[in-house]
This record gives sequence, C-alpha cells and structure tokens, in this order.
Amino acid sequence: MNEKFARWELLFLQNLKRDWKKMIVWILGIGLFAAGFVPAFEEIAKGQGLVGMYEIMKNPAMISMVGTTPILTASDYTIGAMYAQEMLLFCGLFAMIVSILHIVSHTRKEEELGLTELVRSFQIGRQANSLAAIVQVIFVNLILALFIPVTMISFSVETITVSGSLLFGLSVGMAGLIGAGIALLMAQIMPTSSGATGASLGIVGLLYIIRAVTDVSNADLSLMNPMGWTYLTNPFTENNWLPLLFGLIFTVILIIIGFALEGARDMGSGYLPEREGRATAKRSLLSVRGLLIKINKGTIISWLLGFVVMGVAYGSIYGDMQVFIESNELIEQMFSAEGVSMEASFTGTIMMVMIGLVSILPITIVNKLYTAENRLYLSQIYATKVTRRELYWTSVSLAIFTGLVGILLSVVGLGGTAMIVMDGSRSITLTDFLAAGFNFLPSVLFFISLAALALGWAPRLGKAVHGYLVFSFMLNYFSGIIDLPEWFLKTSIKSWIPHMPTEDFDLLIFVIIAVISITLMILGSIGYRRRDLQEGA
Amino acid sequence: MTEIAKVEGLRKSFGKFQALNDVSLTVEAGEVVGFIGPNGAGKSTTIRILLGVLKRDGGEAEIFGKDVWKDSFEIHKRISYVPGDVTLWGNLTGGEIIDLFIKLHGGGDKQKRDYLIQRFELDPKKKAKGYSKGNRQKVGLIAALSVESDFYIFDEPTSGLDPLMEAIFQEEVKKLKEAGKSILLSSHVLSEVEALADKVVIIRQGKIVEAGSLDQLRHLTRSTITLATKGDVAEIATVDGVFDFEQKENQATFSAENKALDAILMKASQLGVKKFEAVPPTLEDLFMRHYKGE
Repeated sequence: MNEKFARWELLFLQNLKRDWKKMIVWILGIGLFAAGFVPAFEEIAKGQGLVGMYEIMKNPAMISMVGTTPILTASDYTIGAMYAQEMLLFCGLFAMIVSILHIVSHTRKEEELGLTELVRSFQIGRQANSLAAIVQVIFVNLILALFIPVTMISFSVETITVSGSLLFGLSVGMAGLIGAGIALLMAQIMPTSSGATGASLGIVGLLYIIRAVTDVSNADLSLMNPMGWTYLTNPFTENNWLPLLFGLIFTVILIIIGFALEGARDMGSGYLPEREGRATAKRSLLSVRGLLIKINKGTIISWLLGFVVMGVAYGSIYGDMQVFIESNELIEQMFSAEGVSMEASFTGTIMMVMIGLVSILPITIVNKLYTAENRLYLSQIYATKVTRRELYWTSVSLAIFTGLVGILLSVVGLGGTAMIVMDGSRSITLTDFLAAGFNFLPSVLFFISLAALALGWAPRLGKAVHGYLVFSFMLNYFSGIIDLPEWFLKTSIKSWIPHMPTEDFDLLIFVIIAVISITLMILGSIGYRRRDLQEGA
Repeated sequence: MTEIAKVEGLRKSFGKFQALNDVSLTVEAGEVVGFIGPNGAGKSTTIRILLGVLKRDGGEAEIFGKDVWKDSFEIHKRISYVPGDVTLWGNLTGGEIIDLFIKLHGGGDKQKRDYLIQRFELDPKKKAKGYSKGNRQKVGLIAALSVESDFYIFDEPTSGLDPLMEAIFQEEVKKLKEAGKSILLSSHVLSEVEALADKVVIIRQGKIVEAGSLDQLRHLTRSTITLATKGDVAEIATVDGVFDFEQKENQATFSAENKALDAILMKASQLGVKKFEAVPPTLEDLFMRHYKGE
C-alpha cells in the first residue's frame, strides 16, 4: 500500500487493543438484540398469532415505522417473515449509528483532541489513521454479521433458515458499513467533529423518514434509498442478495471519495469554511440565558426541525390509512367493534413515539450544563455575580421550553398534515391532536427532572437519563408486540399516562406526575447549590 | 492594614485524598501575594475554595470579611479571576466571550477592553476553537482586567503566553498594584512572582511551608558565595554554617547561612581576599529547597 497509508496496520492493532471492551459491547449489544428475540416471536406466532400480526403489520403506520414485507397473503406469513419485517430495519439503524459514532470519534475527534498531530509526527502515513478506523469498523461489522446468524440458528426455528439468517446478519453488517462510509465522508466535509456526527445522523434520519414515506406509498421507490439496501434484502422470504451489492458499491464509493477529500485537506479543518465572527457580542448574548441559548442553538434548531419533519412524515400516513381500512373488511370490523377509529388508535401510539423522541432534546440541554462545568467552560463565570441558582434554573427552564415547543411542532406537523391528507372524512380534529400531544407533557417534565436531579447530586448519571428514555421507549414499543407483566410496564413513566384520544384524559395522573417532576427539579437545585463543582474531573 | 482575604486552617479532601491540610494565608489591602508550589500541591484547590466553587471541609475562608461559600454572590461582585487553563466555547469569538464575561461580572470599561485587546494583540473576530493556548489565556486576562474589582485572583495566568505578553501582563498588574488593588497570584514563573509580589506563600502537599516577604524568606536560606584567597581557602570549609564546599585551586564556591557570614568574612580576611561574590538566594532556590522536600 502506498505511503499515505504507511503502517496503518499498526494503528489498526492499536485500535483493537484500545477498544476491545467497546467492541465486545458493540457486537453483543446489537447482535443479541438482533438475534435474541426469536423465542419471543415464536410465542407470538402461536395459534392465530401470525395471521393477526400480518393484519396488524399491514397497517401503514406500522410499515412506516418498521418496514415492509413481500408476503401477500396472511397464510404465507411465517415467523421468519415477521422477524425480518419487525426487526431488521431497526437493527440496521443501530449498527449504522454506532458505526458513525465510532468513525467520527476515531478520525475528526482525534484531530481535535490533538492525538492525530502526535501520531502523524511518527513514521505513520497521513491517512493511515482513517484507514485503520475503517478497517476496524469493517472487522467489527463482519463479526457482527456472523454472530447474528449463528445465534439465530441456535434457536432452531424452522422458518429461520441458515441462508436467511446469514442474509439477515450481513444486512445488519452492511448497514454498519454504509454508516461508516457516510461518517467518513462527513468527517472530511464538516468544520468540526460534532458537525460531522450531526450531519451523519441527520442523513440517516432523513433516509429513514424518506423510506417511511416510500414504503407506504410505493415500496419499489425504497430500493433507490441506501437505507433500503439493508432491510429490503427481505431475509427468510425473498432472500434477495442484490441490495447488499448496491450497498457495498455505495460504501466503496463513499470511502473512496472520503479518502480523496481527506488527502487534500489540512488537519483539523473541513471543506465547509468557517465564517469570521463578530468582534463584539450582540446584546442578546449578554446574559446566562443568552449564553445558554447561543451554545445550544444549533442543537435546538436541528432537533426542532427534525420534530416537524417527523410529524409531517407520520401525518402523511393518515391518507393511506383510510384506503387501507376501506380495503380490508376484517380491520374495519376490528376497529369499529372497539368503538374507536383507526386514526384515533394510531394517533395514541404514534404520539407516544414522537413525544419520546421530543424528550431527548431537553435532557441533552440539562446535561450540557455539566459538560460545560466539567470542561472548565464555566470557571470564569462562577467568579462573577452569576449564581449557581441562575445557571441551574436557566438551564432547566430552557429545557422545559424546548420540550413545550418540541411537542407543539411535532403535533402540529402531524395533525396539520393529517388534516390535509384526510380531507373530508374527519374522525379526529386538530384539537384532539394537540390534547393527545400535551397529555404527554408530564412525561417530558419527568425526564427533565431526572436529568436535573442528576445534575444536582450525581452529574455523572446525567447520561443514564438518556438510557432510561431508551429503555422506556423500548418497553412501550414492544408492549404492543409482546405481553409484558404490568409491573414491568409501569417502570416506564409513559405507561402511567393514558393514550389519548382512545383513552380519556386523566387530570389526576397529569397533575401528580407534574408535581413529582417539579419537586425533583427543586431537589436537584438544592444539590447543585451545595455540591463541589467538578472541573476537569 | 485591612485584610482582603483571610484563610485559616483550611482543609479539603477528595474521597480519600487529602488535598488541603491546614492552609492559612492572608492578603492585605494593596498587597500582591505570590502563591507558589509544585503541581498538585493544592494551589488551585485553595483558589477554588476562595471562589466558592468547592466547599471546604474545615477551617475558615473569608474575602472582604465575608464567608466565601455562603456569601459568594456578594464577594463575586468585587473580584476578578483568571484560571490557568482558560477554556472557551469553540463557536463563540474571543470578542463575544470577553463581552459576555464583562457583562456577567456586572459591566466594565469598554475603552479599557479595546485598549487591552490591542495591547495583547488579540484577534477578537476569531472563533475560540481557533485560538492557541496563549490566545485563550489572553481572552481570560482581558475580560478580568477590563472590569473594576478590588481583589484579583490569578491562577497561573500567563501559562502559554510568550515573554512579550508576559511582560505586558506584569505591567498591567503593576498598574493594579499602584491603584491599591489586592492580588493573589499563583504562578510557576518565579521571576514573575519575584518582580510583583510583596509577600510569598509556598504550599507543598496541602500545607503552607513558608510565608513571608521575599526578604524574610531569603534570610532563612543560604547565599551562594564565591571566594578566592591568597592563603589556603580550604580553611573556610571548617566554619560552622558552610555547606556544599567546592574548591578549585585557590577559589571556592559554597553556600552559607546568613548567620555564618560574619565568621566567614573574619576568616577570609585573615587569608587575604582576592575575590568575593555573594549571590542572594533566588526565589527559585527557595522553591527548589521546598520542592525537593528536605
């Protein structure tokens, strides 16, 4: 290999040594998640389970979330087909995201930390580090792609075939590689590592939403989407290997472009230029609130935009939903028998998903105050007349505010679009949407209060709040598919809140959770005022 | 004289690690106190307690006669602080950050700000992530020097600055001193402390091991003496209070306690002095003595 990549293998081995724990968690985490639900799906398939699930999965709302199946009749629906439809897209998404985070942290992030500078001063090729990172990701995803089928086959389910399992595993691995390719490219273009991560995740999010729309309207269009080159292999049913080839070619092209761009740029800078800044501050910056808004601005705007897009994407499904109901008598009866419209039922579920996503932003904002503290950003500010109380409550208020705006934007995006596509037969109004959305406000407050409590007493646990959010999201997501014990379900805060509009608003629950949240915030504020600030700890 | 800052018997532990174990020091009005000690001795911990960032485990700590923890809000109105490692938000410019810090302090002098930006040759339009260590330090210094305070706390303020900028910093501190301000200056640049400080406090392993004016401290230690005589200089080695005696023909170099000077001179004059040089201990000698942990 030419000298630009000289001694990459040294760095590669070094990376393996350095990251072995991370890699084990990575492979086991995604691998077990991808393969481990086989027994649970066997349970679902018992009796009339498969037929029922097939009908449920024909719902455009479900398709928009988890993807399509090539199966045309309920009787052909197998455990394998169900598994691939419900699991593959999400597993691929996880593999993609982890690969992105890994690539950026091993390339641009290291440049920013000054590690690359040191490494390059030795007899190491200029691009050896990036190559080592890419080879590492290929290595991990390959192991993952083999670990998944081995685990799946071990459950010995008839329709979980060997070739299908292998294809399933390779599809997840391919998703990881596509993510790595996107990340490598963005790492060259964007001005900072956080920009590279943000842009990569943004692209993945966009591809996911585009495929949600095309899956529902015309599944063939999803084959034009790189995201489609993972789950549209349709393991256990069509076993189509061709999309993997597309994915491979796409990744190779991304990597080649990435390396070409890297070869021509200076260390530590991207292709998008940095604008010259202001010599003096605007008045709006000159306060704690102004500062917090300014440093969170990029995050807030991109998330809020994401909420609108998400709302619109899910909202567009309402039109298809009517066609879907009218075309299927069984489903029509099912919904009319329960006395609730399909729109209402869908709204209840989708709202829970959306508000879960909306909660990510406020938690991030609260956690950011600790990041700033830890990175010494606030050292000089503590020595001014700014009090800790002000820093704390400004952060928490900003978090609450973004939570409110987030709910509003996603709900209006969803409801507004739904109103447009449903023209005429409206069983649900915009007010219903707003009520259903803000009904979940206490859950958002609760997540904020957990982050605030952590900030005050054990700031290192701030990140765990995101973990709890993912946990409760998963819990509510799978509660629709698998029967979980009631007490276990109740460990997720959102299980306590009724799903409007199918269920009635419960003022008592609303107030109780809100009061608990505010109490936790006040407790957090006491802790924040009392504890040692952890600068550089 | 009034006491601006007063610390007595200060203690602080982080888990099992005892960071401060009986630290006492005072800063009088109009005084510049040099605060020196090896890395990890507890300088920054002491300063962070003074700023109310850390909570002390025991002892007293007051600024302007107010408790540094309980009344930090009142105290902060009249102090300025520059940390040794100024860290800035990468996407804000130096100019924006300076303005923000000034405003959060409660307002400052716009002209002084511009004057200092010019003196320190800082480009205020640059995003902070593009600044070198020295330039980040300048941002912190300019913000702290642009506001009106009574007590300035500098924690290794010139780390990363070039010698020219260091000199400018020293000039600015001298101006503060002339204006009657009080300053606590923690620094590794001992020449800087020597040039500015009225009083020096040396900390080691969480304890104050020496405190006093430079003259007082010098008195406690040994001067380095070079002596050449007509007679055999070796006799000097026998004088009480002479150490590290090294002879080269008729010339000797040794260190001597100040109280032994008289005896040395008496003996030397008997031998016939050809050359006599005495170098008082530098702060570095003082520091090294404690640093090595005699």
